Amino acid sequence: MPGCLVISDFNPHNFCAYLENDKEVPALEPIQAPFGLVQPILSDAGHPIWQTRSDFAVVWTQPEKAVPSFQRVLEGEVVPAEALLAEVDAFCSLLLAAAARVGTLFVPAWVHDPADRGHGMADWKRGIRLALTRLNLRLAEGLSAPPNAFVLDAQRWVAQAGIAAFNPKLWYQGKILFGNPVFQAAVNDVKAAARGVRGEARKLIILDLDETLWGGVVGDVGWEHLRLGGHDGVGESFVEFQRALKALTRQGIILAIVSKNQESLALEAIRKHPEMHLRLEDFAAWRINWEDKAANVVALVADVNLGLQSAVFIDDNPMERARVREALPEVLVPEWPESPLLYRRALLGLRCFDTPWLSTEDRVRAHAYTTERQRNAVKQQAGSLEEWLKGLAMEVIVEPLNAANLARAAQLLNKTNQMNLATRRMTESEFKTWAETGSNRVWTFRVTDRFGDSGLTGLASLQVENGSGWIADFVLSCRVMGRKIEETMLHWVVENARQAGAREVRAQYSKTAKNQPCLEFWHRSGFAMRGSSAFVWDTGQAYPVPDGIRLRAAAPQ
Amino acid sequence: MTHHPRHERVVEAIFAAVDELNQQLRRSQRLAKSLDTRITGDGSLDSLGLLNLIVLVEEKVDQAFGIPVTLADDQVLAGQADAFHTLGSLADFVHRAVAAKMKG
Repeated sequence: MPGCLVISDFNPHNFCAYLENDKEVPALEPIQAPFGLVQPILSDAGHPIWQTRSDFAVVWTQPEKAVPSFQRVLEGEVVPAEALLAEVDAFCSLLLAAAARVGTLFVPAWVHDPADRGHGMADWKRGIRLALTRLNLRLAEGLSAPPNAFVLDAQRWVAQAGIAAFNPKLWYQGKILFGNPVFQAAVNDVKAAARGVRGEARKLIILDLDETLWGGVVGDVGWEHLRLGGHDGVGESFVEFQRALKALTRQGIILAIVSKNQESLALEAIRKHPEMHLRLEDFAAWRINWEDKAANVVALVADVNLGLQSAVFIDDNPMERARVREALPEVLVPEWPESPLLYRRALLGLRCFDTPWLSTEDRVRAHAYTTERQRNAVKQQAGSLEEWLKGLAMEVIVEPLNAANLARAAQLLNKTNQMNLATRRMTESEFKTWAETGSNRVWTFRVTDRFGDSGLTGLASLQVENGSGWIADFVLSCRVMGRKIEETMLHWVVENARQAGAREVRAQYSKTAKNQPCLEFWHRSGFAMRGSSAFVWDTGQAYPVPDGIRLRAAAPQ
Repeated sequence: MTHHPRHERVVEAIFAAVDELNQQLRRSQRLAKSLDTRITGDGSLDSLGLLNLIVLVEEKVDQAFGIPVTLADDQVLAGQADAFHTLGSLADFVHRAVAAKMKG
């Protein structure tokens, strides 16, 4: 079980207890450092607590303890901003050192009891709120560079808990700073963040249409009479819900539709209704028919090359939710409010989309699926796979791992499940260190075709020792699987291994619950099998680039 | 033994507090919702567990009766150790505190 080190200047007993008992994945084992010793522990790399193998660490402090001058602000003094910020910088340097000792570091933002009115009407001119905001902004800036350190929004936990956020009885008698609702919210967010870091965030929202994306039943009333926008609170709420969904697509979330409807009528509504905020190009796929929704969800998820564990199913109908929840337990089916006025809030409250990095590929992912649909339309017209691939005019651009592509490469390494030879999970810094060790080499592969740029979607790494090459990683996004990119990558790896003096190239497949497609590819790759899961290629023989694919190296950085 | 209806509501409030407390406790340490369950002494709650239970009971009683009662005050606790022996003795103690407040 991954460990979560908890370093705090108050008693974190309740937080650790909730963390230990929380049923959401991943299960985390809290490792509680002696509280009240934050600075000594952070500044001492030899402290025994750092010997515990912790995938995660939470450093949770009170602003007046981490930034001593803030105590003077609390006591009514006016403290120059420069003095406060210098202390924040000093604390950040301790946090940065700590971040280098753990997998991922979480730092809850500093908060102060809202019951304290500070300087009242002038608090934002010279008081507590002004100073605290400056502190948090500086903290966020100080932790912006390392890819494994994140400030968590503790102010939201406090706001949600309301009057129960701070509990003086727990504080004075147990040195427990917060009320339990804050600790529970903190556990929820730490878990969501941990899932994000582990590449377990959800990527796909599957939506119903009638009474979910718009009010009314389009088959009964026609698209002209749907409740959507207009001078109507309910209609407005549906548009706002659509806006929130659209915003998620800009974070790399894909939208799709599963609806019991007549497809032509439903698509007409999406195309023609003037107040539809989402249009057809916003949806990666749809299954609009009268079939069982669970079966449609399975088919749709396969259409977009994702796993069921990536999907969220949103439907106003509790019977449909129960059906999908029971048939497909891997799909997240959130309880959904009866009133459309609450849809947007319910969506924004979901904690399944946290992702630590937002790459260019993430931002355009929804568009990428639209172009994928166009590709598939060409595929259906083409007579053969080869003919289709030639029609796509694909180009694969290969580039060594570098500072510019490291974030996306690490993201691909950690998120990819299906076409992943070894399923190694590493942080950016771990991956960079590995790539710079000995003879190790890592390449990234970008794929473009006449419909657009699929982005950085492939990754391969190679070790050459004693005349033998080992493929350590062979990773390809499901978005471009089955288009001979796999063979193109192997050509590059084999050629480079040969140039590095390797007489053979080996690959060792490591089975997981999800990477069967990878094994199937290796079986048809042309590599000779050794045992049940190893594959070998003699570099005396060239490994050809598939017909119709142009392979080129990127211009040097 | 038949209790006053208000006593039943006190017990409900205490059991609701136990439900929440159990979310913080390991499976082997969780309290059974029984009036005979011991809450102090060997093998029962540690000091933080007892503090959490008391604070939760105060919250639940406030929600149920609209009456703030203070159970965690040292002075209240003085001479009342028996009150924290079992959930049943705690319920009796809370019931007396609520009744006193209502009369007052």
